[in-house]
Amino acid sequence: MKKYRNYFVNKLGWFLVTLVAAFVLNFILPRLMPGDPVAAIVARLAQGQSNATGVQAVYEQYTELFGTNKPMWEQFIIYVRNVFRGDFGYSISQYPRTVADVISSSLWWTVALQFPAIIVGWILGNTLGALAAYLKGNFDRILLPISIFLSNVPAFGMAVVLLVIFAVNMDIFPTSGGYGHDMIPNPSLEFVWSVIVHYQLPFWSIVIITIGGQAIGMRSMAIYELNADYVKYARFLGIKDRKIIGYVFRNAMLPQITGLALSIGTMISGALVAEIIFSYPGLGTTILSAVLGGDYPLISATTLIITIMVLVAFFALEIFYGLIDPRIRAAQSD
Amino acid sequence: MKSNFWNRLRTIAIFSVLVLALALAPTFAQDTTLPRNETVYFNGQQWGAVVGWNPYSSNNNNAMAINQQDNARVLMFETPYLYNMLDGQVYGLLADGPYSWNEARTELTFSIKAAATWSDGTAVTAEDVAYTWATHVQYSTPTGAANTPYIADIIAVDAQTVTIQAVLNDEGAAVNPLIVQAYVSSNYVLQKAWTETLEARAGGDSTAFLADTAEDVVYSGPYGPYFWDDSKVILVRNDSYWGQDASMWGSLPVPRYLAHNIFQDNAAGTTALRAGEVDVSQQFNSNVQDLWLEDGLPISTYLPEAPYGIGASLPTAFFNLTGSSYGLDNVAVRQAISMAVDYDAIIANAMTNQSATFDQVPRSLMNPTPGEQALYDQSAVSDLQFAGNDVAGANALLDEAGIVDTDGDGIREIDGQNLSYVATCPNGWSDWQAAIEVVAAAGADIGIEITTNYPEWSVYQTVVTVSDAPLPEGYDIFMMWSDGAGPTQPWSRIRHLLSSEFVGMSSNWNGNWGGYVNPEVDALINQIPQETDPAALNAIYTELVRIYLTDVPSFTLMYRPQNFHTVNESVWTNFPYDGDGTEPPVPPLNLMDGWSVAGLYNLELVNP
Repeated sequence: MKKYRNYFVNKLGWFLVTLVAAFVLNFILPRLMPGDPVAAIVARLAQGQSNATGVQAVYEQYTELFGTNKPMWEQFIIYVRNVFRGDFGYSISQYPRTVADVISSSLWWTVALQFPAIIVGWILGNTLGALAAYLKGNFDRILLPISIFLSNVPAFGMAVVLLVIFAVNMDIFPTSGGYGHDMIPNPSLEFVWSVIVHYQLPFWSIVIITIGGQAIGMRSMAIYELNADYVKYARFLGIKDRKIIGYVFRNAMLPQITGLALSIGTMISGALVAEIIFSYPGLGTTILSAVLGGDYPLISATTLIITIMVLVAFFALEIFYGLIDPRIRAAQSD
Repeated sequence: MKSNFWNRLRTIAIFSVLVLALALAPTFAQDTTLPRNETVYFNGQQWGAVVGWNPYSSNNNNAMAINQQDNARVLMFETPYLYNMLDGQVYGLLADGPYSWNEARTELTFSIKAAATWSDGTAVTAEDVAYTWATHVQYSTPTGAANTPYIADIIAVDAQTVTIQAVLNDEGAAVNPLIVQAYVSSNYVLQKAWTETLEARAGGDSTAFLADTAEDVVYSGPYGPYFWDDSKVILVRNDSYWGQDASMWGSLPVPRYLAHNIFQDNAAGTTALRAGEVDVSQQFNSNVQDLWLEDGLPISTYLPEAPYGIGASLPTAFFNLTGSSYGLDNVAVRQAISMAVDYDAIIANAMTNQSATFDQVPRSLMNPTPGEQALYDQSAVSDLQFAGNDVAGANALLDEAGIVDTDGDGIREIDGQNLSYVATCPNGWSDWQAAIEVVAAAGADIGIEITTNYPEWSVYQTVVTVSDAPLPEGYDIFMMWSDGAGPTQPWSRIRHLLSSEFVGMSSNWNGNWGGYVNPEVDALINQIPQETDPAALNAIYTELVRIYLTDVPSFTLMYRPQNFHTVNESVWTNFPYDGDGTEPPVPPLNLMDGWSVAGLYNLELVNP
């Protein structure tokens, strides 16, 4: 237990150091990008104005509001103070919307799309990969090339293929949006059904690609494990196949779980391709336009959320590994 | 036992969901779906979520409701007059009858219609007009800042009569009568009482005043806010709209709802148009003619043949004349580059022929509308109106000017220094990028090295709008826009392309970004607003075109419509088209800008 406590404290320390470093970088890096985001607001206000003094006054008003006229260190102190109060300030590109409002209106669409897609893709991919390794023969011969093909199809390619086949040509699913183009959100079955129908193509465009990559990874790991010495030894001992397979897939699963944690940690960055191709609401396009427009507050807030989610996912994973795998706990606490 | 428990639980769960659904369905069913036969769908207007409804602010990202411009968007807020880009006339909306100038052209007077009311039922008055202006000035709104050099005050003479007093120059004449009269068709009238509510909320702070999202705004137009989120914005008809009075439209606009789903890009918008989920498309649909010729869809444009729409603005490539691009101060170099560019290729590739060619509409400073084309003497400048792809002519011009390749590297030199430039436009602006590639290709044909570079818009805009310093490396030839159609055109477009008054501005969102300076041109531009004699105006415009085509400080790459206007007639029909017999003609501006709003009253259902 003492070893495990050391392991836990060690991991927690590194977690905090990484968090602080990432927090600082999240603040600094967007501000090192070329371009002046406040100029974009002034652009909207100043078009057609031939009064240079007026334009300059407007510019100064907004640089003061966003604090971009202050030294970087001063901006950082203000940023830290506000973040600890839960205030990420105004979005520059969507001013006068607050960052919190921008994120909260898109976040749930992204989570609702990404989380189930990642989980379903992961489960299906790993199951198929494991079966391919175990069953071999025709199942493996068919599954492997399909998986390689799927994992190499660009995300936008898969999305466009699904769109053209199932929405444009067959007219089974809608072409765009998060719910009916003629609907208003409300707690009715009709609306829920509309959301479910609109969900299908973006969802499967992510799942199908995820399946390919996961299946290949799981198949390779499972084949490696199936040929490991402990499996042969277990067979010599006469242990039943079902029991052996259980050991094999638990061991093969470890790196796959790491991949799953990373996927969940970064899911907030959005399914950019699916959002664009299907005009699906979400954070992906919001973050993209924030980056292109140099929207510092929005970039910093979203990257901070992503950072924290990745760190928490990995921290939980490390702790979980430490619990289930004594080898890791022993190695790390030495 | 365990199995029984789960079966029972599952049955209860299914039963509960069904009961809940049956209970909820009738409650909400009536509001779930917009009736297709009462809704017109748009695309290409609204990109990203609506931010607010504050008509004093420019930060609403609310394209359906707020757009104060030459052809102001009048679905929700209204201007005294409506501009019609097809005939160049203005027609009364809130205003009753035409406006009048006093003899000295220093005061413009008009009356507010007696029938005009706000959405809260109170009357629109002259005091509202005056208070709107006073508020713009007090809070330094974009409208206030843009017009205070020209408008001294707006006064309510009585309950219905408004007088706009112009700022006067040293001679006692209005500084710019054109801008004064454009004000009445470009800027909204807003309710005094609601403005006072907003002021109280902001506590006198102008930033708070402009940042207010104003969801309680009172409006006079036929539509008001109904629903908006990250996916769409919907306006609903105000069935008490004053415009159904005989003194205005005599009826309500036909559609009850105007809806705009938010698409992430043009491709998604085009897909929805093809699927009949969009009725009026204000976006660039590549090869638009294929939609009816190849796909047989009930889709059409204002003109049945290329260029399919009415060109109004002139996307333009500017030469850097600020001194940091070696050789571009030489007129022969500028002329040669602009002569050698294959404009037909630009129009075919970048615009998929949705622009008139320069053979069809010879280049000048005018847009292709008949009204502007009649404003100058084309025969006097026809020998200067290059149509492009004249590589031989460009090479001869450079040879004649002594600009030749002396060191055999294939690039011409001036005083031993190679002519090497970077042509640029914002990254992702695909039609502009295609045009810039053609410009670069022209350089190779005439021994001038032109490479391309595409910075992000966030960077690009901060560079080209700094006009108080030489442009940096990489901005030798760069694209920007020019004005479209409006009540101050073509004067305003010419001013924005050529006037040196913008040179020296630290944040220049007006024009002449290349830094062209010509006192003769400035004098001519200053004469136009004061001039009322058509013959004298024609002479001035012709001279300006002559100078522009001779000095070539910039060159137009294509003609672009004021708005794209493609309609799908699956549900609605009787959209405006060329020769539709409407009088005055309804312009193809998506049924919402200036006089084009009249089209909303003409719509008919395909299957009533």
